[in-house]
Amino acid sequence: MEQLFDLALLNTTLRVLTPILLAALGGALCSRAGLFNVGLEGFMLLGAFSAIAGNYYFHNIFLAILFAILVVSVFSLIFAYLSINLRANVIVVGIAMNALAAGLTTFSLRTLFDVKGAFYDKEMVGLPKWNIPMVEDIPVLGPIISGHTPIVYLAFVIAGAMWYYFYRTKNGFRFLAAGENPLAASSIGIRVRRYQYGAVLANGVLCALAGAQLSLGQLTMFTEGMTAGRGFIALVATMLGQSGPLGVTASSLLFGFMEAVSIRFQGLALPTHFTQMLPYVVTIAAMFFFKDKSFVKDAQKQSSSSR
Amino acid sequence: MQLQMDNITKKYGEFSANRGISLSLKAGEVHAIVGENGAGKTTLMRILYGMEQPTSGAIRLNGREVSFTSPLDAIRHGIGMVHQHFMLFPSFTVAENIVIGNEPGKSGRFDRKHAIQIVEELCGQYGMKVDPRAVAGSSPPGVQQRVEILKVLYQGAEIIILDEPTGVLTPLEVQELLQAIKHLSKQGKSFILISHKLNEVLEVADRITVLRDGMVTGTVKKGETDARQLSLLMVGRDLEELKKKPSIPGEKVLEVSGVTLRGTKGKPILENIYLDVRAGEVVGIAGISGNGQSELLQVVSGLIRSDKGNIRISGTDVTGMSPKAIRERGLTHIPEDRYVWGANREATVLDTGIMAHHRRLQQGGLLKQKELKALVSQWVSKFSIKTGSLETRTQYLSGGNLQKLIVARELEQGAPFLIAAEPTRGVDIGAMETIHGELLKRRDGGTGILLVSSELTEILKLSDRILVMYEGQIAGELSAAEATEEQLGLLMAGGSIQ
Amino acid sequence: MNKLTKYASPLLQPLIAVLVGLLAGAIAIMISGGDVLETYTEAWKGAFGGFYFTTNTLTRATPIILVGLGAAFAFRAGFFNLGAPGQMIFGALVAALVGLYMPGPGWLVCIAALIAGVAAGGLWSVMAGYFDARFAVNLLISTLLLNYIADLFAGYLVAYPLKDTSGSAAMAQSAMLDKSVWLPKIFSGMPLHLGFVFAVVGSLIIYVLLKRSVAGYEIRMLGGNPLFALYGGINRGSMMIISMFISGGLAGLGGAVEILGSQYRYIDGALTSADYAWTGIMAALLASSNPIGTMIAAVFLAALQTGGMGVERNTEVPLEVGAIIQSVLILFISARFTYSFWKRRKGIKSHGTAV
Repeated sequence: MEQLFDLALLNTTLRVLTPILLAALGGALCSRAGLFNVGLEGFMLLGAFSAIAGNYYFHNIFLAILFAILVVSVFSLIFAYLSINLRANVIVVGIAMNALAAGLTTFSLRTLFDVKGAFYDKEMVGLPKWNIPMVEDIPVLGPIISGHTPIVYLAFVIAGAMWYYFYRTKNGFRFLAAGENPLAASSIGIRVRRYQYGAVLANGVLCALAGAQLSLGQLTMFTEGMTAGRGFIALVATMLGQSGPLGVTASSLLFGFMEAVSIRFQGLALPTHFTQMLPYVVTIAAMFFFKDKSFVKDAQKQSSSSR
Repeated sequence: MQLQMDNITKKYGEFSANRGISLSLKAGEVHAIVGENGAGKTTLMRILYGMEQPTSGAIRLNGREVSFTSPLDAIRHGIGMVHQHFMLFPSFTVAENIVIGNEPGKSGRFDRKHAIQIVEELCGQYGMKVDPRAVAGSSPPGVQQRVEILKVLYQGAEIIILDEPTGVLTPLEVQELLQAIKHLSKQGKSFILISHKLNEVLEVADRITVLRDGMVTGTVKKGETDARQLSLLMVGRDLEELKKKPSIPGEKVLEVSGVTLRGTKGKPILENIYLDVRAGEVVGIAGISGNGQSELLQVVSGLIRSDKGNIRISGTDVTGMSPKAIRERGLTHIPEDRYVWGANREATVLDTGIMAHHRRLQQGGLLKQKELKALVSQWVSKFSIKTGSLETRTQYLSGGNLQKLIVARELEQGAPFLIAAEPTRGVDIGAMETIHGELLKRRDGGTGILLVSSELTEILKLSDRILVMYEGQIAGELSAAEATEEQLGLLMAGGSIQ
Repeated sequence: MNKLTKYASPLLQPLIAVLVGLLAGAIAIMISGGDVLETYTEAWKGAFGGFYFTTNTLTRATPIILVGLGAAFAFRAGFFNLGAPGQMIFGALVAALVGLYMPGPGWLVCIAALIAGVAAGGLWSVMAGYFDARFAVNLLISTLLLNYIADLFAGYLVAYPLKDTSGSAAMAQSAMLDKSVWLPKIFSGMPLHLGFVFAVVGSLIIYVLLKRSVAGYEIRMLGGNPLFALYGGINRGSMMIISMFISGGLAGLGGAVEILGSQYRYIDGALTSADYAWTGIMAALLASSNPIGTMIAAVFLAALQTGGMGVERNTEVPLEVGAIIQSVLILFISARFTYSFWKRRKGIKSHGTAV
């Protein structure tokens, strides 16, 4: 068993948890703004695809990520307009966004690259891996922390920044207020919609980064449906972490670790089917320990809010 | 004049909520606005506070015409509003709730220590006490209201609008509030007080304006009027005295013994409750809302389970039974919140109306459409429920009409025991008279009624016996004949009477 | 006037959505260098150009209708069951197993396989319902995640213990069902099988059930306001189990008829790559969970797919253009713009003073 659990496993954990963490932080922003975003999966998929497309056309990793952010932001705006301005059912819009992302990426894969299933090009360069001087020489910790893509480090910086924003700044305070009681917030002149738009757009940027890490972080390729439910796992991470940056980071760590273990198991003689199941099983199991707000409260809120 | 509202008219489509209303306010004055539900009080205040724009008419502040497009405009002009349903952020602290919108701190940082200091200074300046570090959501209603007033003062308000401020307060807290209003008006703050409680208005207001159907029916000075004249102006006619026959109590239809319910934090919500209701009597439960009345009703009707105790309906032990089973044993229930418990907004009037009747009028698992339709249309004419058709969505019914539909639905179950929770909350006087009349008719027909209401007048008017609930316990029992508002108020506030 | 808006407004919205969807499709076609009119003509021919293509479209619509009905049923009860893909897989897998290994006359095996498919899909679905009712595990998310588990589990079975070893192909698939257990075709030589009749009859039954039956009333009330339902004596827990079983059972039936009527064996990934289940969910959303509407929407969405295939055969435009039209459609439907606009205006009138 000792080959199973070693430092490389924890190194892998950091790499694979990043997309989940980024999307979950985005989900946390949305849920704090009162929007339960089921569309994380789709946004991430769009991000992954457009990062590859940007990389292919611009031959520049930085522009590729910028392009991904731009594309996902456009779709975030659609999401925001439908759910905030037109008051569509957020869950339905989220599902539709997922479907749109799946359709759009496969369509574009055919139209732009004339391939089915997956796109890969030798010319493309993935994200750089940073070996941090000094840190990489620290025993035990060094090999875990060092040697990741910038997005991995950025994810943790963002989590910290979000904590600071929520609990130390005036703007973050008002953001939380707008989410907690929109009616009261607007009665003192807080522009609730503006914060909601901000949350959805920021979520778009985070999901774009998450997607870029997926498609450019390890193999530099795009495969159809490559997010494989990570957006939904991120959603659970958001719920488990009660939409707080620290809690979300902790639960993303758990799910990232499970995915790393699942990847590690694939090297063994076991059928890969069961190892691939692991993250989903653990995620469902995790929901048993986190009690969702009872339906009574939700329904009460729904029925009385528009009175 | 500090504030002058001239000829304010507000139309929603063809409906006029305000019709040519004029109103003035002097510095340091307390001006009350009274009227029935739907008379246009709230609309007028929303206009003054920038939440709505008038269709026509002008607002002048210190002689200058102003127009507000948002509450922020109103706040900048020194107008603050304390809403009927508090506009607080429950998970935030008192200090955070007060300074929000104008938080202290440099370069975008929120300085919470400074916020606490500010709140302490405010408390000193205006002679109101709050703990700035307490969490707003777990503070009692009286404190929450003080937080709201302090927030408005912190925002620099000179004119403070109070919308139905005493609805959730204990009599003691009401007195504190009225004192605070007097105190602040001496310091030069002016108040607009919206209320339908005439005794409170008469105690604190300098002038009183009465609205009916969106129009001013009179403005009177303090000391030149009385409750009877005001209610005449409000309703437009003298109210009929309700004639009540003496009750003839029969068998026990409800027996509650030793019911205890613990909350999530271990604090008891209900503690060792004993009460019974006999056929042919109305037992009223008085109390400030939030003292366990809602939970008691939910336990009795099977919506939540108690931790201890027994409930019998018409002699059958129904403890722990499902709401369906309890209904089958002879309970029917006018719920306290018609939108939360009593109706499905998306459904048609017919569908909302047949709930629980649908189990009776069926054949082989299929609904008897014709009978059900006939039943509901019969209520519609009997209770004069205004609705487009039976296919109209429930959400388009006005509050009073929906309440009548719910009352009809529950009364027509013909069960021996009826819970009537806040049966007339938010309905106009006409609907109120209908509902009260029907309830008493049922009582005389032998139904046992458990009435819960936060309106003392309603309790006194309908009940044969009155129980007072305070902090999850029965604080006392009085017979209706000898009970007075003063005694009830004392019990409601946790006092005792000898 | 009142009658007109009553009947027109629910139709207006899907109509506008379809137009916008076709417009988005046109843009996609232009991007991929095709001729819009020609492409849409090819799409029409591929979907309804002649008897064969029409029955082909209806064959494709069959599992979509059944899954869509299941989704609509759960949505009506207020449960966001997004587990149709997994429920369908279990229905298909178990139907294939019964069809392969149960002894007895062909017609009996076929019926048993259908029933087993319903039970398998229903039970897989009930599991998520039970987790929610008993342990408050969010249904929407658990059903979504269970899809991946079901797919992997079925994939494992046909890749190892049940792998078809007769053929030389290395594909992960079960052995082929015996001809005697296949669902009969409706027209000889055409792909359309008896499953389509099940789907149509199913729509009618679900429609009547929801509209006229006691259980249907209770389910609608539960979906509209759970607290009102509880107060009126409707048991949420048992209703959840029942409606999740029916919902998953219909998805399972969808999988079973696809195996017994079209594919005759369980092929790993065949159901998911054809996207039957998600299309069914889309159909339910498109029709605001009305059973008859769901059936119509399912046929329309199936036509987009078969039309897309026609397009791909005869033009340079890829068939995924259908997927774009479909998701744009849903996006617009989800906005419910016409309806909410109408509601808001009406709402102000009656609630103006109550605020």
